[in-house]
Amino acid sequence: MPVIFSRNADSLIRHGAAGVAISAVLVVAGFYYYMLPSYTRVGYAPDQPVPFSHQIHAGQLGMDCRYCHQSVEESPHASVPASQVCMNCHNPEKANVKGKSPLLALVQESYKNGNPVEWKRIHQLPHYAYFNHALHVKSGVSCVSCHGQINEMKVVYHAKELSMGWCLNCHNHSHEVLREPTDVYNLALQMTPKEQLEKGNQIKDRFKLNPPQNCQGCHR
Amino acid sequence: MSTTAEAPQQSHDPELERFHGRLPWVIGPENCATLSDKIAGITENPQPAWWWPTFLGSFLLMAGGVFAAVYLISTGVGVWGSNNPVGWAFDITNFVFWIGIGHAGTLISAILFLFRQKWRTSINRFSEAMTIFAVICAGVYPGIHVGRFWYAWFMFPVPNANHIWQNFRSALLWDLFAVSTYFSVSLMFWYTGLVPDMATLRDRAKGKLRQTIFGLLCFGWRGSTRHWRHYEIAYLMLAGLSTPLVLSVHSVVSFDFATSVIPGWHTTIFPPYFVAGAIFGGFAMVLQCMIPVRAVYGLEHVVTTRHLDVMAKFILATGTLVGYAYAMEFFIAWYSGVPYETQIFMDRTGFDPNGGRYWWAYWIMVSCNLFVPQVLWFKFCRTNPWALWIVSVLVGLGMWFERYVIIVQSLHRDFLPGSWGLFVPSWVDWLQMFGDFGLFFTLTLLFIRFLPMIAIAEVKGVLPNAHPHHHGHEHEHEHGSKHEGDHAKPAEAHANNGHASGNGHTNGHSNGNGNGEVPIYGPNPGSGKTHAIIAQFAGPAELMHAARTLRDAGYKTLDAYTPYPVHGMVKSIGMTRSRLPLFTLTGAFTGLATAVVLQFGITAGYYPIIVGGKQYRAWEAFVPICFELTVLLASLFTVLSLVWLCGLPKLYDPKDYHPTFDRASQDGFFLTVEANDPKFDKTETAATLKKLGGYNIGIVEE
Repeated sequence: MPVIFSRNADSLIRHGAAGVAISAVLVVAGFYYYMLPSYTRVGYAPDQPVPFSHQIHAGQLGMDCRYCHQSVEESPHASVPASQVCMNCHNPEKANVKGKSPLLALVQESYKNGNPVEWKRIHQLPHYAYFNHALHVKSGVSCVSCHGQINEMKVVYHAKELSMGWCLNCHNHSHEVLREPTDVYNLALQMTPKEQLEKGNQIKDRFKLNPPQNCQGCHR
Repeated sequence: MSTTAEAPQQSHDPELERFHGRLPWVIGPENCATLSDKIAGITENPQPAWWWPTFLGSFLLMAGGVFAAVYLISTGVGVWGSNNPVGWAFDITNFVFWIGIGHAGTLISAILFLFRQKWRTSINRFSEAMTIFAVICAGVYPGIHVGRFWYAWFMFPVPNANHIWQNFRSALLWDLFAVSTYFSVSLMFWYTGLVPDMATLRDRAKGKLRQTIFGLLCFGWRGSTRHWRHYEIAYLMLAGLSTPLVLSVHSVVSFDFATSVIPGWHTTIFPPYFVAGAIFGGFAMVLQCMIPVRAVYGLEHVVTTRHLDVMAKFILATGTLVGYAYAMEFFIAWYSGVPYETQIFMDRTGFDPNGGRYWWAYWIMVSCNLFVPQVLWFKFCRTNPWALWIVSVLVGLGMWFERYVIIVQSLHRDFLPGSWGLFVPSWVDWLQMFGDFGLFFTLTLLFIRFLPMIAIAEVKGVLPNAHPHHHGHEHEHEHGSKHEGDHAKPAEAHANNGHASGNGHTNGHSNGNGNGEVPIYGPNPGSGKTHAIIAQFAGPAELMHAARTLRDAGYKTLDAYTPYPVHGMVKSIGMTRSRLPLFTLTGAFTGLATAVVLQFGITAGYYPIIVGGKQYRAWEAFVPICFELTVLLASLFTVLSLVWLCGLPKLYDPKDYHPTFDRASQDGFFLTVEANDPKFDKTETAATLKKLGGYNIGIVEE
């Protein structure tokens, strides 16, 4: 019989197969690391037209979240404030806080001509998913649970995955995040895990919370 | 040689021996060489004139199916005639039809193997291939029938960012596991069977390309007894694992219907009824394809009228079982007193004055499945290819209508008369359905064209004289000395088998005799490192006698190369039974553990959700998937351990330098001794081999 393959054909195939297997493992591992929202979304921090710092406003100055995000307790949407809200303080003709700063030029322009500042959206909810801010904050879910430590962010970034699995995980373990509704906007609040569990269970019982885990809870 | 002398090697019961050995399953002057020529030749020679037009026709049909699928996906499922209330129509009808077709292949390859039905060897390859193609055809529908086929991966338990998991209590998910396990195991079984035959094709190939392709595909199989030793056990394991699949796959498919509450579906008789129907339809399809193929390729002596006769009996038996199920459905409809059930069955017959529109489909089904096969009580109809072919075609038609009746007729009138409706197939439905037939026949024609459609190695094993006569190799140690006395018998077999290896024979004597010097083969003969000594023998009996003699003389590295696994050869070269079953068992436990952890972990732990009012940990609904994963992983481990234990792939082996060694995959019987054997001695070993009847003796170098 003619010898068809060369002497090293077998080791070539074995090494090739091992190479393919290792590559396959790497591809799968890479996929799960790089392609999921935990990588693709988390850390997204676009440059905004106006370099508004949550660290200064919500952190140093201790402004309440609701001062700007006015409808968060009444509506599904927290709402982005109109320029007029900024101008309450930054209007050179009134309170004139840093009124001359060139960084505020866009806001002042927007205030004058009535066109909103074109903020870049960071947290994007798919239109096939229903989410209600009011329900969550009134039940004791703090801003930081979904948006991260906003009070420490100079530039706001996407802090959590906000994937469906992430939502469901919280709906399944809500006692791990729930706090007193009065503490919802207390972004700097610290609790030990033990305190958190006690408090969470207490809140859950008090409000008889049963976060939906079925499809139509969010996909209505 | 008389057939009564051809004793089966598995049994020592004289009654059974007579039963098995009564008639040969391959008739005519077939031996290993002519059989290889005949069957491998089909793939090597140009195809007959009808092949291209038939292929072109099938291909066009398939292209129509591809067009229909693309149109469906790009437009939406509304292009089908499916509607409310007939939400499942042609799609699931065809799905169940094709899944059913596959069952004959698995039954023939697995159950009949376990029952030692030797007649299966002539038809198992073809029907296993049909199984695989049929499951591919079936798999088209679950893939496309929901429209957004790019979400098909949602069906599999893949970890994902949405934390979406399957409902493990759903019959549809069981079905997915059942069908994909069925496909995977059938494919592995089929491919394992193909390996020795692809080695035959490799050794017969003239061109380098063909040699390379088949050389790679068969992993460098050479018919070594050290490989057959694992191979035979692996084959047995796969047969054992496939056997429950024959019964389970269509049972699970029937659960898709039986676990619902639709009148006409909600019945406990469905699993056995579906399995019988699947085997029934499957055998009909095998006959439908096999009868023309055996005629045009002249395979009547391999697939004999006896084969047709036996398959016809299967059709008659299962068809009558199906007929019983039809009757029982009516009995239950009446006996249960449920008005909905009664209504739907009266509607089927057309005797209901307010009846629907599908009574004709019901009567086609009953006529073709119950009445027509009754002609097979007559031997003429079982053995006349034309009569049998017509019956098979009608049975295929009837089985299609059975699924159509069950699905469409049951759905079109459910509990509420207000939601009654009708199904009318659209042109896309028809195009998709004929496209599926096109896909099936395209794959079948390509298979006939490129791969041996009859299991060459297995048929060689059932030829008369395939196995040496001996007095029970299990007890050989007690009368090892008896082999000397047996010497007359190998000589007799030699006379019978000699013409099979005629060309090798003459070649060998001119090589080996001369001045008593052993010829040397290798890349640089005479200067390389000695690898082994090879001797050819006239037949299995001579080979076994020589192997035993050398084994008893203390040789440790014997190996016998044979075209098919010769019974008793493993022990004759001094090896024991393969430990491969341990790997199968490991795989089975791995699969079971995976299924248990997967289902309980997800349903009771990770994402607990209440389904059907069951407790999270209620285990009953987890049984089907536990079973499927057990079988799947056991089969996978079997095949992987076969490859591993045999040390495959082994594309390069210095033994190939021996000039006639390639006959080992066709009609040659070789004994080899490795150079590192403690007893190895170039001249002495060669002399011993020669004395034992070896010829073409040669030394190969690395």
